Amino acid sequence: MENSHYKIHFLPNDVTVEIEQGKTVLDASYKGDIFINALCGGDGTCGKCKVILQPGSVRRMPSSHISEEEAARGYVLACKTVIENDLEVFIPEESRLDKSQILTGAFPQFPGSQAAVSPGVEQFKHSPLVNKIYLELPPPTMEDNMADFERLCQNISSKTKIPSEKLTINFSILKQLPTLLRNSNWNVTVTLGNRGPIYEIIEIQSGDVSSHNFGVAVDVGTTTVVAHLINLSNTETIDVEATYNSQIKYGDDYIQRIMYASQNNAMEMMQEILTEDINHLISTLVKRNSLNIHDVNAVVCAGNTVMTHFLLGLDPTNIRKEPYLPAANFVAPIRASEISININNHGLLYTLPCVGAYVGGDISSGVLSIRLDQMEAISLLIDIGTNGEIVLGNKDWLVCCSASAGPSFEGSGISCGMRAAKGAIEKITITPDFEVTYKTIGNVPPTGICGSGLLECLANLVRSGVIDRTGNFQKGIKTERLRSTDNGQEFLLVSRKETAKNKDIVITQADIQNLIRSKAAIYSAISTLLESMGMDVESIEQVFLAGGFGNYLDTRGAITIGMLPDIPVSKIHFVGNSSIIGAKMTLFSTEAHEVAREIGMKMTYIDLMSNNKYMEEYVSANFLPHTNIEKFPSVAEELVVK
Amino acid sequence: MEIPNVAEKWTSNVNEITIGATKEKGGTRAKTVTVGGSKCIPFMDFDGSQGHKPVVAMDVYDMPPDDWPETLKKPFADVLNNPAQWAKKCVEYGADLICLKLEGIHPDKGNKSAAETVSTAKSILAAVGVPLIIWGCEHDEKDNEILPKVSQAVKGENCLIGVVTQDNYKTLTVTCLADGHSIITLSPVDINIAKQVNILVSEMDFPLNRIVMFQTTGALGYGMEYTYSIQERERIAALTGDKLMAMPVICDVGHEAWRAKEAKSDDKDAPQWGAREERGPMWEIITAMSLLQSGVDIIRMNHPKAVAAVKKCIDRLY
Repeated sequence: MENSHYKIHFLPNDVTVEIEQGKTVLDASYKGDIFINALCGGDGTCGKCKVILQPGSVRRMPSSHISEEEAARGYVLACKTVIENDLEVFIPEESRLDKSQILTGAFPQFPGSQAAVSPGVEQFKHSPLVNKIYLELPPPTMEDNMADFERLCQNISSKTKIPSEKLTINFSILKQLPTLLRNSNWNVTVTLGNRGPIYEIIEIQSGDVSSHNFGVAVDVGTTTVVAHLINLSNTETIDVEATYNSQIKYGDDYIQRIMYASQNNAMEMMQEILTEDINHLISTLVKRNSLNIHDVNAVVCAGNTVMTHFLLGLDPTNIRKEPYLPAANFVAPIRASEISININNHGLLYTLPCVGAYVGGDISSGVLSIRLDQMEAISLLIDIGTNGEIVLGNKDWLVCCSASAGPSFEGSGISCGMRAAKGAIEKITITPDFEVTYKTIGNVPPTGICGSGLLECLANLVRSGVIDRTGNFQKGIKTERLRSTDNGQEFLLVSRKETAKNKDIVITQADIQNLIRSKAAIYSAISTLLESMGMDVESIEQVFLAGGFGNYLDTRGAITIGMLPDIPVSKIHFVGNSSIIGAKMTLFSTEAHEVAREIGMKMTYIDLMSNNKYMEEYVSANFLPHTNIEKFPSVAEELVVK
Repeated sequence: MEIPNVAEKWTSNVNEITIGATKEKGGTRAKTVTVGGSKCIPFMDFDGSQGHKPVVAMDVYDMPPDDWPETLKKPFADVLNNPAQWAKKCVEYGADLICLKLEGIHPDKGNKSAAETVSTAKSILAAVGVPLIIWGCEHDEKDNEILPKVSQAVKGENCLIGVVTQDNYKTLTVTCLADGHSIITLSPVDINIAKQVNILVSEMDFPLNRIVMFQTTGALGYGMEYTYSIQERERIAALTGDKLMAMPVICDVGHEAWRAKEAKSDDKDAPQWGAREERGPMWEIITAMSLLQSGVDIIRMNHPKAVAAVKKCIDRLY
């Protein structure tokens, strides 16, 4: 007997999806391409895919994520609600995707640390990967009777010092060449794309349009995709735009997405989702700045290894299987249209080189952005995301590792967590009398807390004695903010009156344990990496912290909670989104692109999962700041019990 | 050929701790007990001094134990109802200290009151001259209610009181600090938590040299090797200079050994195992002697035969 089909009507989208009996509401949303926040990919663990149904219309599955009050109002988890009849589903605001809210102000590149860091930007001469050159060719005569293409090449060569044998031309352009040269009185602008060992003439235009040359740098993150529009003729950043990675609905971390893609034969779909996100960003940027999409000639993408694979349509399946191999670490430039990225028809797309399965192009890019590969001083680059990647080294050597820190410092898996977007608490203080003050991104009423707010919150909870070194809430704390609920204790940070969504912002005992586990993973990765090099904390001369925090980071707090080793705060520099900065550098400097490749090859990957020491370190680090308190002398002093 | 000197050079030692107070020190004990001070792995005395000899504390319950087999009850048959007399008997059997186990305050057992417990503790102090260990029922609320009152009542006696855990340490730490007692920190066979509890307690200004560590004990055949390995790591940590791991160690051998079916089964149920009069104490002896080699300072024991054998070994070996 064939299964019955039912109609699911989604609101406020007003889209109706027909789907067979037995599927879930989340399946229906996928089918209708409707976004419901489902970080765990439908496992029922994240509790983010809350939707509202008319009471009594389904059999409900009890879930710890739905409070009694919510249940009474018809809330269910979309992923756990099986379809047995026609339904009307309302997606509440908190489960929708609000694209306008992601923080894009990744521009304060090195706040407070200008002197310590030499922005790599200055170091490379301007030589865009795709360059536009204006040429005034001498018209041919009986004496000067070189063929059109060779004439063009000779002139390009004398202007750019590129040997003419390295120049090739797209055949379709060659066919138009004779007419075009003559119609434009031999004055043309040539678009020259770097394709590794050779240069390709990808376009010839009449007259001087060499200033109409644009490129887009993209940070393809697991969670967010950020794009910067660059004027390639002068390296100026024109505009910035960001969006969530729409793959999120198939899992919060990339391992879940690989599993989803291979189990559902959905590799192509995953690629389409990403390219659609990027196309949307590019077209938004181009339209907003009244440019012609035809003048966008290059895209550089920096992403972790899995995102790079999905984007290029390479199969990432083997990345999660022993011996953990990517299809390729370095991929030569391709034509953007080959993966349906909409720019100039012959425009080129570059990716930054990956180091291995778990350290990708975003990290090569980060190293490039601060020129870690040129530093005299032993330096540490820490990129905190769902995976915490760490690079240690200087101009002579680079080692790197990756630790599954979990997404808690991105606000995921935390009851009131959110990404660094407008309305997120990025700064928070707790006084000895347990009063709370905070600052949100965009200075609007708070919606939740982002990574930097969570980090500072944890540090201040332990400083004020609300929690002890194990992270447990203390008894006998004289404040009404500390209260008991059915799910254990929680500390009220902002009461509902002050918030954007009339919902208390709290931090729970479980949140605290999550954050401690994340910081422990990062710390133990740092210390295991140091130990594998036979080095100690004292040998680190500077630390660069990158990642999806807010605009601000309590670097001292990062030491107080034991995420970073106990080193002077003056050695720590917050560098924001280092991945996009490196991507931009490669876009306007061919040399930077080559350096990125060298960096990718130079880095030695150290696998922590097969390292016994790592697990031991991790267990010891699950304490504030650390079980080996003698490794944190300044924190021991800071946290003297009053 | 010259034989190279392979002696380890340890940089540090296990803390010394004295339990009990004589009249001069404000207590009423006839003698005190000092343990710890070792500068080497047990028996490796060519590396350094072994410090004070390990001591035996015998358990006295505040109610007749419900799970003791006949073999174990027999030596205490007429005193199981009378903790003071029971303690006296223990001293006759050679106990260096008495460990008063407050089984009876547990809500599911006797749910005894503070007043009752205070008078039990006082009666023991009156009956014997050895120092006293006071061990709660490990029910957090009940321990936090009763132990402070007992601690206060025996103020000045410099008892060893326990146990505190990572999740419940504040009440007892404050009490012991105020009343001048030492404290036992418990961790569940976990080297990290051991140190963490010590940090938590010491951060309340509790002196490190008044802490004794307890890793929970596994008997022979029931996880003894886990306890052994953790205690060995604790000892090495102490010797290599970790001040937060330099505390003397206590083991609960008696209770754990006598829970083993090999120790308590009737002869008719397991004739192939030999007479239980022998194998019961033997189980306790082997557990105690094995763990002593990992580095233990105070052993809680039950059977007089086992106590005698272990004490004899200690006297010969240390």
